[in-house]
Amino acid sequence: MKNKYLIGGAIIVTFLGLMIYLFTQTNIQYEANFATIQAKSKTFKATGSWVREKNYEINPIEKTFSFYMRDAEGREMKVVYAGTMPNNFEAAQSVVVTGKYKDGYFHATDVLTKCPSKYEGKPKISSGM
Amino acid sequence: MVGSILLTLALIAGITSVVMYFFTFKGANNTLNLARWSYHAMAVLTIVAATLFLHAILTHQYQYKYVYDYSGSGLATGLTISTFYAGQEGSFFLWTIMTVIIGIVLQQYCSKRGDLESRVMSVFSLAASFLLVMISPMLKNPFAYIWSDPTFLATANINPAFLSAPFIQNFLFSDGNSGQSFVKMSSELYSVLQSGGIAINDFIIQGKGLNPLLQNFWMQIHPPMLFTGFALSTVPFSFAIAALMKNEYKEWIKHAFPWVLSCAMILGLAIMLGGYWAYGVLGWGGYWGWDPVENSSLVPWLVGVASIHTLLVQKKSLSRKDNSSTIGEFAKTNLILSIMTYVLVLYSTFLTRSGILGDASVHSFTDPGYSVYLFLIILILSFTFLGFGMLAYRWKYLDSAPVDPYKSLLNRELALFTGAVALIASAIIVLVGTSAPIFKQSVETKFYNQMNLPIGIIIGLLNGLSLLMKWKSSDGKDIAKKSLPSVIAAVVLTAILLAITGLRDVMLILLAFSSAFALSTNAEIAYKIIRGNKIMLGAYVAHVGIAVFLLGVVGSAGFSHQQQIELPLNQPKEAFGYILTFKGYQPFDNGKKYHFNIEVKKGNNSSIVAPVMFFSQYNNSLMREPDMLSELTRDFYVSPMGYDDGNQKQNTGGNEVSLNKGESTTFEGTKITFASFNFPKEAMSSMMSGGDFQIGAKLSVAYNGKTKEVEPLLRAVKGEREFVPVELQDANLRIQMANLEASGKVSLVISKLNGASESQTTVQPKEVLSIEASVKPLISLVWTGVLLMVMGFLVSVLRRSKESRQQ
Repeated sequence: MKNKYLIGGAIIVTFLGLMIYLFTQTNIQYEANFATIQAKSKTFKATGSWVREKNYEINPIEKTFSFYMRDAEGREMKVVYAGTMPNNFEAAQSVVVTGKYKDGYFHATDVLTKCPSKYEGKPKISSGM
Repeated sequence: MVGSILLTLALIAGITSVVMYFFTFKGANNTLNLARWSYHAMAVLTIVAATLFLHAILTHQYQYKYVYDYSGSGLATGLTISTFYAGQEGSFFLWTIMTVIIGIVLQQYCSKRGDLESRVMSVFSLAASFLLVMISPMLKNPFAYIWSDPTFLATANINPAFLSAPFIQNFLFSDGNSGQSFVKMSSELYSVLQSGGIAINDFIIQGKGLNPLLQNFWMQIHPPMLFTGFALSTVPFSFAIAALMKNEYKEWIKHAFPWVLSCAMILGLAIMLGGYWAYGVLGWGGYWGWDPVENSSLVPWLVGVASIHTLLVQKKSLSRKDNSSTIGEFAKTNLILSIMTYVLVLYSTFLTRSGILGDASVHSFTDPGYSVYLFLIILILSFTFLGFGMLAYRWKYLDSAPVDPYKSLLNRELALFTGAVALIASAIIVLVGTSAPIFKQSVETKFYNQMNLPIGIIIGLLNGLSLLMKWKSSDGKDIAKKSLPSVIAAVVLTAILLAITGLRDVMLILLAFSSAFALSTNAEIAYKIIRGNKIMLGAYVAHVGIAVFLLGVVGSAGFSHQQQIELPLNQPKEAFGYILTFKGYQPFDNGKKYHFNIEVKKGNNSSIVAPVMFFSQYNNSLMREPDMLSELTRDFYVSPMGYDDGNQKQNTGGNEVSLNKGESTTFEGTKITFASFNFPKEAMSSMMSGGDFQIGAKLSVAYNGKTKEVEPLLRAVKGEREFVPVELQDANLRIQMANLEASGKVSLVISKLNGASESQTTVQPKEVLSIEASVKPLISLVWTGVLLMVMGFLVSVLRRSKESRQQ
C-alpha cells in the first residue's frame, strides 16, 4: 500500500518537473514595450499596432514580408517576417509578432493580426459631414 | 420584445423546476408534477424563442442588433441559418437550446430508472437556468434592439432614399480614419423614424454579414456539434452530484455510462470537424495548431475519455459478488472526473468568451463587457463549488473500498487506470499551455508536442496491452505469448511506414510502433468478435480508431514538406514529383471569388487543383482558401499566396500615403503637395441624396524643375464609385485617390507608370501565381481514425444504454 503512493508520487513529481522545465524552455512572454524587446536578444511576442502610414513591403525574391509596428509609447520597430502576408493583414488593428530583435529589426517567425473591432467596435468620430 | 419575454419566462420556469425537483428530492410528494411541468415549460419557451429568433434571421429583421451585426441578405439559406450562432449571444443561445433538448431526453431516461429523476434533474435544470441567465435581457440578450445602445451603422447598409432626408442629417457621422460615413442609430433616431412612420426594416436594408472565413459548410455543422457536446457534458456532472446527494455511489455508474460515452463521441467529432475546417478551408496548413480555442475544448474531452476508463473499472468491480459491500474501485476518481469534465467545459467557455485570450489566438475575440466577464466567473465558481463542496461534504463516506490485493501488477484494472492517468496528464499539459495567456505568457507548440509525444506512446502501448490482460490478474508469460503476433505485425507496419515516409525521428518511430501495436491487437480481437455479438465491438473499433489516428499524426507531423513556388501562366514547374501548370483564373459565385486553376500532373494522371482567392469587403482583405489533391497515402496541399497580373503594379496597399491639407510627400524624387479638395456644394447635396457627383483632390506636383497642378477624381455615377487617376507621362507617374476623409485628409496611391512605351512592348506581361505547396502523408488516416473512434463510441453507447435498463 505504501509502495503505491511512493511510486505514484514519484511519477507525479517527475511529470510536473518535466512539464515545468519544458514550460520554461518554450515559454514566450508577451511584451508591449519595444525598448525591452530591443534590449534583450530573447524571443518575445511583441504586441503593438501596424504603422499604416509606413506601409508594408513584400519582397518576392527573399520571400519576406516587412512592415513597421508601434508600441503604446510610440516607439517604432521594423518587423521582417519570413513568409507571406497573412490573411486580414490590411484590416489589422493590432498585431502580435513572435520572434527576436536582431541587427536593427525584429525577425518574426509568426504574425498574428487582430481585427476584433469588426464586431462591436465603434468608429472614432471626427466630424459631422 | 416577445423574444425577451419568452426567454425571461423560460428562466423563471427553469428556476421553478430546480426548486420543485429539489423539494421532490427532499421528500415532498406533490411537487414532482410541477417540477416536470416547469422543466417542459422552460424547454418549450426556449425552443419557441429560438424559432422566433431564427425567423427574425431568415426574414432579415435588422431591428435586432444581433441580426444586423452577424447576418445579412444575400447569403445562402444554410449560411443564413448559421448566422444564428455567429456571435456570442447566439452561440450561448444555441448551447442553451441543445441543453434543454437533451434535458427532455434525460428526464424521460431518469423517470424510468428508480428515484434518479428528482436529483439528476434538479442539478441539470440548474445548469440550464444558468445558461438562460446568460441570454436573459440582463446580459447577452439575442433579442436586443439595435437602438437600445447607440450604434454606428455604415451608410451602405441604410436605404439610400432616406440618406438625404432632412431628419437624418443630425445622425450622420464620418470616421476620420477610414473615411466611411455612418448613421448613429439610437433611441432618438428610432423615435424620429417612428414619428415619420418609417419601419426600421425599410430604413436598414442590409446587415454587416457573416465573416467570409465562416462562410462555408463547416460553419453549419461544427458549432452545433460542439455545443451539443458541451450540453451533454452537463449530464455526467448531474449524475455525479445526484449520487453525492443521495450518498449512494453504485447505481449512477451504469446510468451515467451511456451519457459519458455520447458526450465523448459528439465532442470528439466536433473537435475533428473543427480540425478539418481549419485544414481544408481556412488554410491554416494543418488540422491542429494547438490554438487556445481548439485546445480549450480538447481538455474536457480528454478528461471525459479518461473517466470512461475508470468508470469501467468501478462498474466491473461492482459486478463481482464478493464486492457487494463496497462502492467499488475509483468511486472518488469517477466523481471527480465527471465533475471536472463539466467544469472544464465552463472554463473553456470562460477562456474563449471573456476576451482573455485576445492576443493569443487566431480566432477573433471580443471583450464581452464587464458584467458578462463577471457572470462567466460566477458560472465556473458556482459549479466548481457545488461539485467539490458536495464531494468534500461526503468525503468520509467515500473512503476507498477495501479491495483485495492484486496478485500481480499485470491486471486490466491497473492498465485502464494508467491509461486514464495518461489522458489526464495530457489534459493537464494542454490546460497549462492554454491558460498561460492569462498570465501574459505563452508556450510554443513544441511544448505540447514534446510533452504529449511520450504520453501518446504510452497510450498506444496500453491500448494494446490492456486487452491482453485479464481482470484482476494475469500471467506475464501468457501476455507475452498472446502479444507476439501483434508485435510482429506492428514491427512490419512500422517498417512499411518508415519506408513510405522516410521517418527518422526516434520518438515518432516509437509512437508509430506503439500505435501499430494497438491497431493490430484491437483489430485481431475485433475480427474475432465480428462473428459473435457485434454490440461488444464498440471499444475495439474506437481503439482501432485512436491507433489509426495516431499513425496519421506520425505521418503528417513527421514528414510534411512545404515549398513556395511561383507559377507563371502556362509554364510547367515541378514540385514533389508533380508537374504544376497554372492555367489561369476563373470567377465564380457571381464574380465575387476566383478559382486559380492549377493542373497537377503525375505520370499520366492529371487533375485540377483550384485554390481560391477573393477580396472581401467585410474585412477589407484578400482572403485565401487552399485546395488539395487527396490521395490514399498523402494529400498534396496548395495554399494560394498571391497573384501578380503582370500589369503595372496595382499594389494599392504598397504605395499609399495619407496627406493633410498642405502636406507633401516625395515619391522617387517627385514632390507631391495636397492643396485642397475640390468639393462643390452641388456635389455635397448630390452625395447626400445618392445621386451622381464628383470630388477632386487638388495636387501640385514638382518635378524636373517645374510644378504642375493635377486633380485626381472620385466620381460616382449611378451609385458606382470610381477613382479616376491622373497620369504624368514625362514624370513617369500615376496618382490615384484611394480615399478621402471628412477630416480633410486624402489617401493617394502613387506609382510609376508602366514603361508601356514602344521600346518595352516586347516584354510580355507575366501573370504569376505564388503558392505554397506541401505534401502531407497519411493525413487521411487522421480523419479515418477519428471516424472509426466515433463509430466505436456509437456502438458502445448502444450497448451501455441497453445495460443501464437492466436492474
